[in-house]
Amino acid sequence: MAKRPQLAIDTRPWRDTANNKPFVRIRNVTKKFGDVSAVHEVSLDIYRSELFCLLGGSGSGKSTLLRMLAGFENPTSGTIEIDGQDMTEVPPYNRPVNMMFQSYALFPHMSVEQNIAYGLKRDGLPRAEIAARVAELLALVKLQDYGKRKPHQLSGGQRQRVALARALAKRPKLLLLDEPLGALDKKLREETQFELVKIQEQLGVTFIVVTHDQEEAMTLATRIGVMNQGEIAMIGEPTDIYEFPNSRFVANFIGSANMVEGVVTEDEPDHVRIRSTELGCDIYVGHGVDCAPDQLLWWAIRPEKMALSREKPEGLHGANVATGVVEEIAYLGDISVYQIVLESGKRLRVSQTNTVRGNPDAITWEEQVYVTWGIDAGSVLTV
Amino acid sequence: MTTRDPTIPPPRRLKPWNAVERGLARVGISGRMLVLLAPVLWLLVFFLIPLAVVFGISLANKQFGRPPYTPLLTTDEGTVQLTLHLNNYIRLFTDNLYVAAYLSSIRIAAIATVITLLVGYPMAYAIARSSDRWRNILLMLVILPFFTSFLLRVYALTGFMRGNGVINQFIGLFGFEPLVMMQTDFAVYVGIVYTYLPFMILPLYTTLVKLDVSLFEASADLGARPIHTFLFITLPLSLPGVIAGSMLVFIPAIGEFVIPSLLGGPETLMIGRVLWDEFFTNTNWPRAAAVACAMLVVVVVPIMLLQKAQGAVVEK
Repeated sequence: MAKRPQLAIDTRPWRDTANNKPFVRIRNVTKKFGDVSAVHEVSLDIYRSELFCLLGGSGSGKSTLLRMLAGFENPTSGTIEIDGQDMTEVPPYNRPVNMMFQSYALFPHMSVEQNIAYGLKRDGLPRAEIAARVAELLALVKLQDYGKRKPHQLSGGQRQRVALARALAKRPKLLLLDEPLGALDKKLREETQFELVKIQEQLGVTFIVVTHDQEEAMTLATRIGVMNQGEIAMIGEPTDIYEFPNSRFVANFIGSANMVEGVVTEDEPDHVRIRSTELGCDIYVGHGVDCAPDQLLWWAIRPEKMALSREKPEGLHGANVATGVVEEIAYLGDISVYQIVLESGKRLRVSQTNTVRGNPDAITWEEQVYVTWGIDAGSVLTV
Repeated sequence: MTTRDPTIPPPRRLKPWNAVERGLARVGISGRMLVLLAPVLWLLVFFLIPLAVVFGISLANKQFGRPPYTPLLTTDEGTVQLTLHLNNYIRLFTDNLYVAAYLSSIRIAAIATVITLLVGYPMAYAIARSSDRWRNILLMLVILPFFTSFLLRVYALTGFMRGNGVINQFIGLFGFEPLVMMQTDFAVYVGIVYTYLPFMILPLYTTLVKLDVSLFEASADLGARPIHTFLFITLPLSLPGVIAGSMLVFIPAIGEFVIPSLLGGPETLMIGRVLWDEFFTNTNWPRAAAVACAMLVVVVVPIMLLQKAQGAVVEK
């Protein structure tokens, strides 16, 4: 839902690294707690006005990386630069960075106004200026009437907005958000996602968001960094991450994917043929792959990239047709997800859009069906 | 899983307590009341009745004999006479000794409480912020002095502070003149701070350990130097612990008797010692009882004020 910019090249500096200087440079950063590496040799460039999502499961090191940007943890090795300045020795209170905490960390003994004004007061701004800025921020997060309340008198969504206003109060160059929507219920989360993107675009602040929720990351981010066991598994725009995963981990972690093992039988510059005993057919891939004949590799395909039919379709290059029986159907309203058992016992998940209302002719349980896919529908993965 | 036939009733369980409960309920006693009854009885027998006796004695007059005070109720030719003497209370206000002793006790207790707070706060903070493994060891060390009798520990302090004690011998090695510490107010403060420190540390620790670390991080993140984080975040949020700890030190310190009499000098005037002297030296039980009752009032008023303040903090 992140709005696609009209002049893509201007607002996607990461596509033109030669002419754009990164705003945040993370170079070979490692963080060890005792013998355990929470973050291992991470290098990452983030550009001005980006909304960058660090996505990973628990223990992937995403929060540790964020805390190192805020200055709560120091890297064991490596450097962090923000706006050309080395941050290694700078304590949190001197960094041009603010953070929105997962627990919000609102000061319970202060009113909403006092919470928002806290950082401004520390900077010794004149009173009138602080009052004006607080009013401005309350308007930004639509909490004008709640300035005098204490945090415990607010709902979860309101607290989240106070935390955002407080973090934005000092006009930070970089805002760090640790699971910003994690504590909200689903409906509120969806609403707040839009608002967050709107505020980010309005203010032009660089956001780095940590989340474990891939849907949230896809919705918010200009780019996503997928983290796994302390390392960056893949960096890319949401579409790259989803459509062109670079590894089995990323393919499985983002969305759902059917993963099969295969052996290369034809390795040509313009196509590759993979024999898969699991699928019971060959896979014809319409582009060259960096591999060798007889190499074992994996092929991943998203459920919505496949089609079901009762009649055997014309095979593409004598491949890309698997036969199976419908085992389960999950009706989700807009789509139905079919679980197909192949002869090898391998199960495939295939989703079909329910275009016909109450379709009486829909494929149903125990039917024998053919599963087909296009020559570029899946991803060939070597790692 | 087996499903039970719904027509068969579930097996009955025997509850012998049900009968007891029903029996008690018939005479109007619920289990809740029984639970409350135990502490109420305890307080009645060991606190309220003795207090009433002391209050009664405070309204009598001193006499020679056994008991050494006049009875409140006398029978004279078939009439029961109640004689209440208020002269003991009047004396408390007219004799400067008592007023001075009360004020001095409050002053000493207040100063000692502030010192205990200043010493205890950093210790409680350090324990609350230490790693899990260290925390239990440090807490154990705080509680450890309780394994020895309070009296012994105060005696042991004299060994440190007397003329040829440990401290003077140590500084003597460097050629310093011995310091006079015993029989001074200084020794009394040392005694009170030392013995009451755990009562300050423990409530402070419990409030500090509950504070979310992310609050401190948020404060630093918003540009507060460590000293500001302490003044604007840590201190206000630990106020309930400060109040509770101060209460636990201040209140018993007012009535302290052992410490001033073992460590204090003749000029250390504290109400506990006055009370002791009235009771055992002058054998003036009614006066001593009046001093005790007045002390209760002196102590109860700050308790109520502090509790009100604490209530206000908690409400926030």
